Amino acid sequence: MTGSEKVPVVTDQPETCRVADAEEKSLLRKVMDNFADHCRSRSLFVLHYCTGCGAIELPPTITSRFDMERVGVSPMVTPRQADLLLITGYLSVKTLKRVILSYEQMQAPKYVVGFGSCTINGGMYWNSYATVKRLDQYIPVDSYIAGCMPRPEAIQQVFLDLMAKIDAGKATAWQDYYLNYDAYLGRQMNLFGQDWHTPTDVVAEAKHYGYVGNGTTGEHTALLDQRATWSLDTVPELYPARGRNERSRP
Amino acid sequence: MTVETGTPATIVDTIQHEIPGIKVTKQGERRLRIDVARDSLPALLELLKGRLGFIHLSAISCVDWPETDEFELVYHVWSYERKTLASAHITIPRNPGRFVSVYDIHTPAGFYERDIHEMFGVVFVGAPNLRPFILTSWGGPPPMLKSFNTREYVNQTYEWVDYQPDWLKDVEAKGGGVEK
Repeated sequence: MTGSEKVPVVTDQPETCRVADAEEKSLLRKVMDNFADHCRSRSLFVLHYCTGCGAIELPPTITSRFDMERVGVSPMVTPRQADLLLITGYLSVKTLKRVILSYEQMQAPKYVVGFGSCTINGGMYWNSYATVKRLDQYIPVDSYIAGCMPRPEAIQQVFLDLMAKIDAGKATAWQDYYLNYDAYLGRQMNLFGQDWHTPTDVVAEAKHYGYVGNGTTGEHTALLDQRATWSLDTVPELYPARGRNERSRP
Repeated sequence: MTVETGTPATIVDTIQHEIPGIKVTKQGERRLRIDVARDSLPALLELLKGRLGFIHLSAISCVDWPETDEFELVYHVWSYERKTLASAHITIPRNPGRFVSVYDIHTPAGFYERDIHEMFGVVFVGAPNLRPFILTSWGGPPPMLKSFNTREYVNQTYEWVDYQPDWLKDVEAKGGGVEK
């Protein structure tokens, strides 16, 4: 091999995606990242989305019998302050919308655990027209717990596994939402219709976190861009009360 | 409101006296089944509510009968004084699938009729609100009809989990795998 030949660089990430190379990841930075991951894994705040019957297994998991706070896992009441979204049981089309809204409000890094057979393939509601079959088609999922219902031991096990994954820096499913947002949005639109959009600007977040990939934007996010030109002034018929108040003002 | 007291036998007598040709079956100590012509149903509900104390419309249920091409509507009314449930059964033709609303007799009927309209496509004339109720982003036919093929809809709308993924072959080669 002569010196003029280019050696092809093989990466498993798309080229436009920002990949930290060895120089950039200095030793200090690595140490800081490892330390941060270690701390994150020891302090998980869980938002449990209790629409399914799986929620009944959480009180024993949280309270004194199994006491998940021993390992640093604690319940949280709002998505913005939570690290882990626990989907406890089946999701209908209606509740999936709310799950996506909650998920997008969470601050990265964020983790999702699908709880029970229903989040994997619809479970016992497999042939229901209203029950969503695969949760990981609509939001990225880090772990699943099989079972109908999973016992608190299984829930504790998934917490320990997830902690080990976070500690090792391998719980990166949330990055996939930014890297392949167009595909996720397309599947959401298949279910909810072309008008579906959320208040969160996911593409801007992807740029902020530096996870813009080939799949971040596409034909579906283009639909969102068209809608972004809407404002209170361009669609005044939607807000008649506001117009009346303005006119009556002296 | 004056309520005529008495045993269920007197209820049967009263109903049969007021609406001739009606069939009242006593199904249990506190259950009455009433089969009535559909045109007489509003009069029957008025009678049950006004004179016999059946003031609580607890449900309207709908059954799709494709063999006879009919919808069966069942109006369940409850009397707190008599502690008796009366179920009035009527049938309406599936096509055009229209019936009169009983919202003016029992206000909660508005919700039940809206639900049945969404799930079966029955139109209730005079109902205050028949807009979409529970279904989300629904573009298909009324899903509770027997003619609605749920499995076909599910296969078109959702994707299934791969039950034989590649990584399972590695597990099976080592003697593990899914328990059958």
